[in-house]
Amino acid sequence: MSNTITLKELKEKGAARCPGAPSTQDIIAADKVAAPGWVRSESYRFLGDEDISTDRYIDPAFARLEMDTLWKKTWQFACREEHIPQVGDYHVYDIGHYSFIITRVAEDEIRAYYNACLHRGTKLRASGTEGNAEEFKCSFHGWSWNLDGSHKQTVCHWDFPHVDPKKFTLPQARVERIGGFVFINMDQNAPTLAEYLGPEAKAHIDAWNLQDRYVYLHVTKRLPCNWKLAIEAFQEAYHVIETHPQVAPSNGDANSQYDVYGEHVDRFISTLGVVSPHLYGQVSEQDILNQFTLGDSSALGDTKFTVKEGGTARAVMAEMFRGMFEKATNTDLSKVSDSELLDCFSYTVFPNTFLFPGISLPMVYRFRPDRNDHRKSLYEVLFLRPVPKDGKRPMPAEPIHLRDDQSFTEAEGMDPGFGAILDQDTDNVGLQQEGIEASAKRGLTLGNYQEIRIRHFEQAVERYVGMKKA
Amino acid sequence: MSTEANAAAAATFTPVLKLADLPANTKKAVQVGARCILVCNNNDKLFAISNVCSHNEKPLERGRMGNGWIACPVHGARFDLATGAALNLPAKLPVATYEVRVSGDDIEVLV
Repeated sequence: MSNTITLKELKEKGAARCPGAPSTQDIIAADKVAAPGWVRSESYRFLGDEDISTDRYIDPAFARLEMDTLWKKTWQFACREEHIPQVGDYHVYDIGHYSFIITRVAEDEIRAYYNACLHRGTKLRASGTEGNAEEFKCSFHGWSWNLDGSHKQTVCHWDFPHVDPKKFTLPQARVERIGGFVFINMDQNAPTLAEYLGPEAKAHIDAWNLQDRYVYLHVTKRLPCNWKLAIEAFQEAYHVIETHPQVAPSNGDANSQYDVYGEHVDRFISTLGVVSPHLYGQVSEQDILNQFTLGDSSALGDTKFTVKEGGTARAVMAEMFRGMFEKATNTDLSKVSDSELLDCFSYTVFPNTFLFPGISLPMVYRFRPDRNDHRKSLYEVLFLRPVPKDGKRPMPAEPIHLRDDQSFTEAEGMDPGFGAILDQDTDNVGLQQEGIEASAKRGLTLGNYQEIRIRHFEQAVERYVGMKKA
Repeated sequence: MSTEANAAAAATFTPVLKLADLPANTKKAVQVGARCILVCNNNDKLFAISNVCSHNEKPLERGRMGNGWIACPVHGARFDLATGAALNLPAKLPVATYEVRVSGDDIEVLV
C-alpha cells in the first residue's frame, strides 16, 4: 500500500458534515434579523489526521519547555482596561513563576513591568492584587521606582556607588490592547498583536466592541488537569450529547461550525434554540424552548415562553431575548442579529484566552498552568455585560475563588444551569488527565471537523516548543 | 467592669462629615480625638476604618478603593473595608474598623 496521499483524498478529508442536518449557516440564514459578515463566513482547513502525542500533558519537562518558549513568546490576556481605569492603577498578572505589574502610566499608556525589585528580587506587589501607586516601593529595603519605570531611590545610596540609576529602570514586557483587553508579550521580537491575530480574526474582534462591556461576574477555580486539556474541553460541541444531555434538546451540537484563522485564532459557532441532530424526531419546538439553558439568565427574570402553532423556538427566543436583555442591561440591542443574541460563539486566542462575543453567553475564559503542578491548571470565567446606556461604568466584579471541591453553582451570581454545565465540563478533565496517564495508547485521536480547533491549538503548541517548524 | 467595657460604654456616635460631601466611591480622612479615621463611600455603602496601614503605619487615604477593599498606596497591602482584615502581603494584621451611620445630613462614626 502506498503512503502517498492523492490530491482527491486531501480534498475529501475534513469535508464530511453531520448528515441530514442543516448547516449552522443554513440555520442562521433563516433568522429574522440578519447576522453580520463575521458570523456568516466559514474558514475551515484540514490540518492532518495523525494522533496528538500525549507526553505534552503529563511530562514535567514538557511543561518547563512550554514556560521557557511558548509562554515567553505569545500574546496573553493580562487584564481588562477597566481593572486599571486611573493613572497609577495597577493589576498584577502572573504566568507560571513570571509576574507582571500591569499599570496605567498615562491616560492612554499602559505598561507591564516585571514584578521584582532590582535590588534583591522581592516582588514589588503581591500576586493577585490591584491598587494605585504613585511610586513602586519595595517593602523589603525601600528601593523605589517611578510610575514610568525609572529608578527613584536607592536607600543609602552611598553604599551602592556601582548602581547607576539610569541602568536600573524596571524591565518591561510589551503591551497591546484590543476590545478593552490588555495583552502582554515577553518577547521583544514577537509580531504585533494585529499580526499575531491576523486580519480576519482581528476584524471579528474589532466588530464586537467588547471595550463597551464590563466584568459583571468573575469566578476562578483550579482544575485537576494540564492547562491544554482544560482548554480543549471547551473547543468543541462534540461532547454535548454525552456530557450535557440537558442541553442537547436546544443546541445544534453535531452541526456546529468550526473555523481556523491563521496560527493563533480559531472558533466554533454552536446554534441554540434548535434541536441536536442526535435528537431529531424526539423533541418538539416547545421542548426546545423549555430546555434552553442560558449563561446569564438572571437578565431574563421569571418570564415563561410559548411557541405558537407553526412557529419555531429559535424565532420566539430571539424576539423575546432582545426585549428582555435590553431592559435588564439598559442597552439598545435593536440592531443586534438573532444569531448574536442566541448562539454560542467561542473563539480561542492562543494560548490563554477564550472570547464569547454573544449576548446570551457573554463569557471570557482564561486558562493558565498551575505554577507548582503541570497536572493542574487555573481556569477563570468572566461574564461581560454591556456598559449601561447612561455610560456609567460599574467597577469590575471581584474574583470569586472557588476551592477545588466546590461547584460552580456555589459562586454567587452564577446562573445555576450554567454552573452545572461547567461542573460537567470540569469533572471530565480530571478523569481525562488520569486516563491519559493510565493509557497504553500514547496519542489522542481527533475528529477531522468537530475537533479541528484542538488540532489547530496543538499545532501552535508544537511550533512554539520547537516540535514543528514554524 | 473591665477597661474595654468602660471604653465601649463611653463610645458615642460622632458626626464627622456631611453625607453630601462624600459621593459614591470617594473617601475622606477625619480626625476624631486621637484617631485618624478614613470614611469611605464604596458603591454607595459607607465604611469607616483606621487611616493607618497595619504594615508600615503609612496613611491609607491616597489608596485605591475596589469592590469592598482599599489598597495601601505605599506597598500595596489591601484591607477589607467591612472587617479591616488584611487581604494580602505585606500586611498580615487587620486595621481597626468603626461602626458608621447616617443621621440626617451627617455621617456619624462610633468612636
